[in-house]
Amino acid sequence: MQIIDRQKINNQIEDLRKKYGEDRSALMPILQDLQEIYGYLPDVVMQETAHAMGIHPVEVEGVASFYSFFRTKEKQGKYVIRLCQTISCDLAGKQNVARQMENELGIKFGETTKDGMFTLEYTNCLGMCDQGPAVMVNDRLFAKVDAEKAFRIITDCRRDFLKSDFPEVVPSDVKKAGPILDHGIKPVESLKKALAMPRSEIIATIRESGLKGRGGAGFPTAIKWQLAGAAKGDKKYVVCNADEGEPGTFKDRMLLYEETDLLLDGMTIGAYAVGAKKGFIYLRGEYLYMRKYLEKALEDRRTQKLLGGNILGYKEFNFDIEIRMGAGAYVCGEETALIESLEGYRGEPRNRPPFPVDTGFQGNPTIVNNVETFIDAALIISKGADWFNEHGTDKSKGMKIFSISGDCELPGIYEFPFGIKVSELLKEAGGINAKAVQIGGASGHCIARKDFHRTIAFEDIGSGGSIIVFGPDADMLQVAKNFLEFFVEESCGQCTPCREGNPKLLEGVELLEKGRCSVTYLNELKKLGETIQVASKCGLGQSSPNAFLSIVENFKSEILSPAVAGKLTKEEQYAR
Amino acid sequence: MAKILIVDDDIDFVSAVKLVLTSNGFDTAVAYSRQEGMDKFVSEKPDLVLLDVMMDEPDDGFVLAQSLKKKSKDTPILMLTSVGQVTGMDFDKDSEMVPVDDFEQKPIMPNHLLEKVNQLLGN
Ligand SMILES: Cc1cc2nc3c(=O)[nH]c(=O)nc-3n(C[C@H](O)[C@H](O)[C@H](O)COP(=O)(O)O)c2cc1C
Ligand code: SF4
Repeated sequence: MQIIDRQKINNQIEDLRKKYGEDRSALMPILQDLQEIYGYLPDVVMQETAHAMGIHPVEVEGVASFYSFFRTKEKQGKYVIRLCQTISCDLAGKQNVARQMENELGIKFGETTKDGMFTLEYTNCLGMCDQGPAVMVNDRLFAKVDAEKAFRIITDCRRDFLKSDFPEVVPSDVKKAGPILDHGIKPVESLKKALAMPRSEIIATIRESGLKGRGGAGFPTAIKWQLAGAAKGDKKYVVCNADEGEPGTFKDRMLLYEETDLLLDGMTIGAYAVGAKKGFIYLRGEYLYMRKYLEKALEDRRTQKLLGGNILGYKEFNFDIEIRMGAGAYVCGEETALIESLEGYRGEPRNRPPFPVDTGFQGNPTIVNNVETFIDAALIISKGADWFNEHGTDKSKGMKIFSISGDCELPGIYEFPFGIKVSELLKEAGGINAKAVQIGGASGHCIARKDFHRTIAFEDIGSGGSIIVFGPDADMLQVAKNFLEFFVEESCGQCTPCREGNPKLLEGVELLEKGRCSVTYLNELKKLGETIQVASKCGLGQSSPNAFLSIVENFKSEILSPAVAGKLTKEEQYAR
Repeated sequence: MAKILIVDDDIDFVSAVKLVLTSNGFDTAVAYSRQEGMDKFVSEKPDLVLLDVMMDEPDDGFVLAQSLKKKSKDTPILMLTSVGQVTGMDFDKDSEMVPVDDFEQKPIMPNHLLEKVNQLLGN
């Protein structure tokens, strides 16, 4: 039996290696497909994969255990139900959905039903924050789930889920479009224009526009492209970061689906400018439902000679794009972790320098850009630098797509110029009663009313576009707790401040919750937070205490109130 | 007498190079940024440009080289950089992206620099 099994597994692995390639970078997609077949990754499957790829089984297990979407212990249910545990879905009533699901299935989260039909899991941000609570069942997403809808979803699965009358793709909720979203540019227009330009001219136009990366860090796109273009190397790569894992961000989900052509134009323009022959779209595992759609778009472009050899008849311009799926690790949005993941390793951030523009995918020059950045670049080529930089501020040019969720009347996707005041944004989204706003997702800052006059721009409060609104009744300690739980879970564990520090902060929040945290200890926690910020290796750790620290600063009396409310004596409050 | 424009944001490096060049009979002009480099190129009409890569922005040298070649494609450019040591970056001549005539790593020995300069000036 064992022998036959191994033979079968081997044949499957060989087929997958033909499909995805023979080198290490094929490991993730091979494991993803094997998990599809077996429902999990049994030891024997991992061993055979290692054997076929000529690596140690521990390597394969190391990769499988890193990503939350891989299962190595027990078979997952036929239907894996993942309920989003991010703060926006919390605010929208996640608890009721969770209770309904547990009752209906008779299992707890983290368990699988005895009949092997259902696995129930929590997951981090599903990118549906404006339409929460959100649930993912296998590769399908469901928005605005309440107890009744949860019941219907489970019933549908029991009957045969595929016949469900829920929509395949949850519609996007664009509340306000502007020059970017109302661009009026036809597919391929930008690409055609770009290919008639010298490569340096493309980058010069992007430079003139002042475009800075839309993924959050705001690095000037032209510099990145110029450095990769100038770097030595025959093999260069273009990577679209479609990992969109920042809690509260969902604009890339909309852009990937509704502006696919512009995105692919932007990536192809980038490839032409830097001299790349191959591109990847690193699509987060949570957006699996979009894969088929994107694959089809790529296939269509191949038939139209927009991808492949001699693109649009330009000799010597060969470029193709492959989609690679993430597997539920937020840290893989960090560009060097993303590259590690593409190469088939654990998504652990690298030291920098060297930078990806020089030493990226498999040691070759690589540009990694956000979905929105590529779209903006394509539009800038079509419409010119001035069209773009007439909006925004001096240091943050152009329009930005925002994802707004939480306690506001009109959650959804908004296009605003950089430099917009927080108060203006709240007015548009119907959130003027807000007591706090989290800007930039879990890694961003939580600001209070006194700071609503501040602007969203790289020189003031920078953001990849995630805005979560907290109403007058929001419990800020719970907000801090939610974000810290997120970081504790998502830290890759490579460096001590982030791995050990965040659980300490979370413990502190739990003490605060019980009213057992003294002011003195809170001050120590603050110092610890500041140490994590400066001593962590990558952006995840460096930004992980931001929310906690800003909540402590802005809502100190609120979070200390359990202690003040009589649980601690004055002496105890200042003890420790 | 040939005039050489030195564009580099490292003041010490600029004065050292200037000393080497003037004591060997060259005229020099200096600039400390991309913009100043362009201005001096126009006003001083140098016969050769010594150009750094990383100035205010990490790609300033490439951008300036592209603009200079557009203005006067026959003026040779020698790119001097320590980029490799700082960041592990490795660049090569490329008529489109890195339109320079030669490349040298910093630090550079005075004799070697003079040799390169003479070579590029066709002496
Ligand atoms: C923990 C972490 C997660 C990140 N997640 C994303 C992401 O999901 N999408 C993204 O575009 N950038 C993300 N980034 C930023 C990327 O590292 C990188 O700066 C970005 O992809 C560059 O593209 P841009 O210049 O076009 O913004 C993340 C950074 C960190 C530190
Ligand atoms: S800061 Fe955190 S996520 Fe980043 S490398 Fe260190 S442990 Fe990993």
